[in-house]
Amino acid sequence: MVDIPEGTRAGPQEVVGRRTDEWSECLTLIAANQDRAAFTRFFRHFAPLIKAFALAGSSLSASVADELVQEVMIKVWQKAGGFNPEKAAASTWVYTIARNCRTDMFRRLQKFDTPLAEDDVFPEQESEEPFALLQGRRTQERVRELMATLPADQMQILAKVYMEGKSHAEAAAELDLPLGTVKSRVRLAIQKLQLQIDR
Amino acid sequence: MAKFHPELDLLTEHAAGNLPLAQAACVSVHMNYCDQCKRTSGQLQNLGAALFDNLHGEPVGDALLNSVLARLDDAPPLSYASASEWAAGRTPAILQRLMSGDLTDLVWKKITSTLRISYLKTGDPNFEFALYHIKAGGRIPEHTHRGSEMTLVLEGGFSDADGSYHQGDFLLRQPSDVHAPTAVQSEDCICLAVLDAPLKFTGWKYRWMNPFLQLNTG
Repeated sequence: MVDIPEGTRAGPQEVVGRRTDEWSECLTLIAANQDRAAFTRFFRHFAPLIKAFALAGSSLSASVADELVQEVMIKVWQKAGGFNPEKAAASTWVYTIARNCRTDMFRRLQKFDTPLAEDDVFPEQESEEPFALLQGRRTQERVRELMATLPADQMQILAKVYMEGKSHAEAAAELDLPLGTVKSRVRLAIQKLQLQIDR
Repeated sequence: MAKFHPELDLLTEHAAGNLPLAQAACVSVHMNYCDQCKRTSGQLQNLGAALFDNLHGEPVGDALLNSVLARLDDAPPLSYASASEWAAGRTPAILQRLMSGDLTDLVWKKITSTLRISYLKTGDPNFEFALYHIKAGGRIPEHTHRGSEMTLVLEGGFSDADGSYHQGDFLLRQPSDVHAPTAVQSEDCICLAVLDAPLKFTGWKYRWMNPFLQLNTG
């Protein structure tokens, strides 16, 4: 019998086919045991990304950005039970929470008096068919791989629209480009990332 | 199933969370009736998540971590019993929230013999968000738009010179598009309309109303 040293027992073949990345596991642990150690690991990885997302477009101050980080991470703690590792990568799930919280924060800062929260605009979707689930997961993996191949001008626009929260028209004005050019770059990027869009 | 959909540009801005609240709500209501756009929106959100993953993180100190940890006891986990409010066909949850009830509880304002309007409050200061009730066979006087107009059919249907529209169909009209929508003969039509400027009637019979038309925002 060969003595396998501690820590190396999980061979690569055990990882293949399962969705057990570290962050999905953290969320599962948080949901099951309210595991603070898992939450802390999750925080150390995602809080800096959330803060960068808050500061992108530089419309929020550093203290408001910290407030957003807290708000998003507390939602992560509260909503971990709704995370379905079959359906989404942990980072996709965190992104949607961060996006909704940021939008709500913008509206609070502008003193919107509204009965709606951004969670109403993006309600939790019903569980999907297994085929759709698999497609969704494959897409998420493929998009991450293909993103590295996008030309800089397309990446720049995507960053403005998604991370800085600019409309296509605002992005066009900032970059001094015709609106049509901005729209076509977004479309080209979507094609290049092979997003399955039937229209 | 809906036949008229928001353009990809609009869905992208929606998925990125960039649309004004009133317009975002209207696009979401469309998705209540349209699996195709719901899937596309999911894909476009995957794109956002990949960009989020690619960000260069900003340093976050332990003080922030500790203050979050200290708040967790007051933040009990939420339960996830059901998520069925997204079920297709029912009055969309987002509208129920804005109406604080059902279609039958609304207060309607009579505009012409066949058109009544009920204004809903979204809190968006730049857009009017209203339900239009057109009697079966009734016609909205020919008008143009001073700004953009989103329309979504909730019940019944209507047609204009460009086509006919049924439950879930989404239309975006730009300034200067002229049309005179007519409800189908068989049933009353209820649509959602989101405007950023008042309508402008073009026919002689209703033109006198133009100076009095105001946007009911907020």
